[in-house]
Amino acid sequence: MPFDAADQDTDEALLLAYGRGDARAARVLTLRLAPWVLAYARRLLRDAAEAEDVAQEAMLRLWRIAPDWRTGEAKVTTWLYRVVTNLCTDRLRRRRRGAALDEVPEPADDSPGAETRLQQAARVAALDAALARLPDRQRQAVILRHIEGLSNPEIAAILEIGTEAVESLTARGKRALAQALAGRREELGFDDD
Amino acid sequence: MTDPRMNDHEIEALFAAARAERAEPSAALMARIMDDAMIAAAEAAAPRPVAARPVAAQTGRRGLVAVLVAAIGGWPALAGVATAGVFGLWIGYAGPGDVGTLTATILGSAYGPNDLVPSLDTYLTEG
Repeated sequence: MPFDAADQDTDEALLLAYGRGDARAARVLTLRLAPWVLAYARRLLRDAAEAEDVAQEAMLRLWRIAPDWRTGEAKVTTWLYRVVTNLCTDRLRRRRRGAALDEVPEPADDSPGAETRLQQAARVAALDAALARLPDRQRQAVILRHIEGLSNPEIAAILEIGTEAVESLTARGKRALAQALAGRREELGFDDD
Repeated sequence: MTDPRMNDHEIEALFAAARAERAEPSAALMARIMDDAMIAAAEAAAPRPVAARPVAAQTGRRGLVAVLVAAIGGWPALAGVATAGVFGLWIGYAGPGDVGTLTATILGSAYGPNDLVPSLDTYLTEG
């Protein structure tokens, strides 16, 4: 299979290949990066349509920078996380200027799945609602650390702050989440035992 | 009475639920992103646009090329022409047998041609 070999390449190698005109590299990068770019944007914006716009815009910026990409300076994923974070921050600012914070209701999950699936959905909805109330930087740091699973140095590079500031943001963010979710333990399936 | 605040273990369970819930991008979004990749590649391959210069510099003497380019709608139109050219070259290179193969080549086997066009069922359903 001629297209499988590219799957093993690093993001940077693929980006450079795309910059030289390799369409297969663009395909592999799209399949590899677009899903998490979209997921991260959705978590920050809580709006599926806006998140799609941001994902497309962030990927477009990646395509455009490809010919000028400097090898070894930054990881492709770090660069993309930074672009998505900044695009989402801009949109959230505009949203706040235009109207009060858009409280997008979580879509009700009425699929006939198992009870655990409904509970998982309830937990995600509660977490998203609590995250939405955090200040921007805290929310970004908490999401990058605890949902995207990145290391503190990576987050520091994305948010362009020091590692200690990341630790402080995530610690304060988690405390604020615990506070915001107070009283919902039982409802979310955490029994006292 | 127990502390109503969540402990670290419980908050971690919420994070785990969020990690597990990852909506896949639609085929339409993937197609748009790939379209952008092809267009950006064509733009990069095309000559640097004259628009990068100050506008005043363009208003004086205009070469034949500039006139011809302006006649078909300027550099953006040329980018479209270049896109078609690059994409055509690529199709020739990849040599897809049919649309199904082309789609699989671009998007992988997880998506089929039917995912790229809206279903007619929406318009045919009564109700």
